[in-house]
Amino acid sequence: MKSLHDTHFASVDVVSSRLADADYIASRQLATAVYLAFNLEKPVLVEGPAGVGKTELAKTMAGILDVPLIRMQCYEGLDESKALYEWKYGKQLLYTQLLKDELAGLMRDAEGLAAKIDRLHAHDDLFFSEHFLEPRPLYQALHQERGCVLLIDEIDKSDPEFEAFLLEVLSDFQVSVPELGTIAAKVKPLVFLTSNNTREMSDALKRRCLHLHIPFPDAGIESRILERRVPGLSSKLNRDLVAFVQAVRELELKKQPSVSETIDWAKTLLLLNSEHLSLDLVRDTLNVFLKFEQDIATAAEQLPTLMDKARKNAEFPHASDA
Amino acid sequence: MQATLEDFFKALRGSDLDVSLNAQIDAARATALVGWGERELLKAALGTTLAKTLPDRAVFDETFDRFFHFDSFGTTAASAGAPAVDASQPQAPPRESSGQGSGGPGGCHGSAGQALSQLLMSGDSAALSRRMQQAAREVGLTDIWFFTQKGHYTQKIQQAMGLELLDREISEARRQILAPQRHADLELARKRLFNEVHNFVERKLAMYGAAPTRELHDEFLQSQKLSTIDRRDFTRMHEIVRKIARRLAERHACRKRREQRGQLDFRRTMRANAAYGGVMFETHWRSTRIERPKVVAICDVSGSVRQYARFLLLFLYSLDELLSDVQSYAFTNHLVDVSATFESLPVEQAVDRVMQAVGGSGTDYGQMLLDLDEQLMHRIDHRTTVLVLGDARNNRGHPRSEIMKTLYGRARRVIWLNPEPRSFWGLGDSEMKRYAPYCHIARECNSLRHLERTLDELLRSNSASA
Repeated sequence: MKSLHDTHFASVDVVSSRLADADYIASRQLATAVYLAFNLEKPVLVEGPAGVGKTELAKTMAGILDVPLIRMQCYEGLDESKALYEWKYGKQLLYTQLLKDELAGLMRDAEGLAAKIDRLHAHDDLFFSEHFLEPRPLYQALHQERGCVLLIDEIDKSDPEFEAFLLEVLSDFQVSVPELGTIAAKVKPLVFLTSNNTREMSDALKRRCLHLHIPFPDAGIESRILERRVPGLSSKLNRDLVAFVQAVRELELKKQPSVSETIDWAKTLLLLNSEHLSLDLVRDTLNVFLKFEQDIATAAEQLPTLMDKARKNAEFPHASDA
Repeated sequence: MQATLEDFFKALRGSDLDVSLNAQIDAARATALVGWGERELLKAALGTTLAKTLPDRAVFDETFDRFFHFDSFGTTAASAGAPAVDASQPQAPPRESSGQGSGGPGGCHGSAGQALSQLLMSGDSAALSRRMQQAAREVGLTDIWFFTQKGHYTQKIQQAMGLELLDREISEARRQILAPQRHADLELARKRLFNEVHNFVERKLAMYGAAPTRELHDEFLQSQKLSTIDRRDFTRMHEIVRKIARRLAERHACRKRREQRGQLDFRRTMRANAAYGGVMFETHWRSTRIERPKVVAICDVSGSVRQYARFLLLFLYSLDELLSDVQSYAFTNHLVDVSATFESLPVEQAVDRVMQAVGGSGTDYGQMLLDLDEQLMHRIDHRTTVLVLGDARNNRGHPRSEIMKTLYGRARRVIWLNPEPRSFWGLGDSEMKRYAPYCHIARECNSLRHLERTLDELLRSNSASA
């Protein structure tokens, strides 16, 4: 069995190419952050607009490292008992009932209250042992024999209290369970935290993490992503499509189309057997990559200008193709 | 390399980017991993360890480019008027540029043996920059933090570069009447040296000196009386107030958490566990109810407190950002609700708008209190904190202190902040002595420090409410 740190990345370029092999096209900045996170054993706080591949990055890394991915989705009201562990109350209750006679037998020959309590003390941790523990994602992550990739998704949605609780996990990779003591990670997991920036994270948390911002990809990277994710797309359509999406991102929109939307759109066009972008085709499929009525209206209005701009960009692509 | 990194941290601090010790250690480990070989890689690695937010990242990128910019000697050659030197500089590769800073005794200073004059005359700018960098390190240029130190450092660097020898040569050349050309050249070279070093020091001051100067200025602004602060400091002031507000918010968030934990609620636990034959498997905890702080803030913007009003409003605005439920009012004689203005406009505009709309002369605290009685009193209850900002100068009108008394009875707390020193209270047309008994806290408040203390108290009282 392979463990997390059996894998070695010799350099940033190795990370890049391994990610590319797994169909994840990474910018140099992203590869550097992953490389450092892996080697420094630090969590990475990944920020960026929705749909640029924050969650995907963690999944891909788990695949590359061949370790399980443990995902914890954050939401308002998430607390220790849902993130770390919970006692199996039902099981505890059942066992006490089943063992009633046994316990009574245990007590029989003990004389006096003090003696009985002493006897009980000898068994007191029985019901608060790991048998009765319901492990939750964080606990599981620390307990993986081979290490794992821990994805704490949308940390910005959790409460500040929970964020404070996470600090111990993130800095020392250990947690304290009052009944059991401190539990340290068997193998330090590779941790990704994602945030959509709906609220500012605390300084303490940021201090413990490396910071990675994934922006919308530039045309070069985006077209390479399409190549990987939507095989069968003609290179001309790929180029036109990317140029168009890049032009749309310059508009004032409520929600800008992300990489995932570009991929969806490309798949749609492929399904429709279209060879090139025509005005009508774009107008009919705008709703695939724009999710708000208002945005669709804005884009539809400026469609001719956008097409024109996209055509120019496609003909003279930026030198950013890496 | 370690020294270069440390200088870079200093430069980041100069750009107002806080670099924690932890981040510094990470950065050092990261550089050890990726090496100094490739500029973009180094930038990515340092960026991901040092900059923790997107705005920070922008600052970082800019500072990085500035810091690892090759300080080549002779960039200002044209202005220094040195015809003898070829102004075009060979573009140094980034590796060398970062290596420049290291400057230890083991550094590659092939020119160390050469006299300064020789270097200057031959126009060997690479060697000159190396020597300038080394001199800068020797004299500790990164400690520069005030513009008056410019001359001092310029002089010291020139000396470290070997100015003395150059001067001796110049005076020798002057004596040798046979070589007037050499004398003139040397003089020119000396002038050029001064210009170069001077500009170099200026650039470094901009990089390293900004942070301490700003700190000093902030310190000054905090303790200064609000009335004497310049209008142009207003934005800076707002930042400070916000910083204070954020710090307080963080501290009070902690306190809230602690109080939330509570103790075992025995009655509820027993009831919940009745089904289990009294075996307590389901525990219920007694928790303190956290109340949303309700604040009604009333600010005097009349002529008598004109100098303060802007800052009181600024304070009010920051409070509005910090606390969840603040209703803000301003008045000269009638009470005007300004919450909407605060919420919709940026601070500078909002304050100006309120000053224009509500400000004026003829303060009437009595009328204000009547308005308050009529419009607000029914909404004020034992959860509300009422905050009044004003000098209580009522132009000898009816004080209506009986309304203050009712208010005092109804509200959780009444806090009055008066920009006048306590000794002025009650003198002339000041009604402060009449109002003060009906305030839980009545305090002199005319500097940021006062504001900070009051804000702290306000929050404490809110979170302590069980």
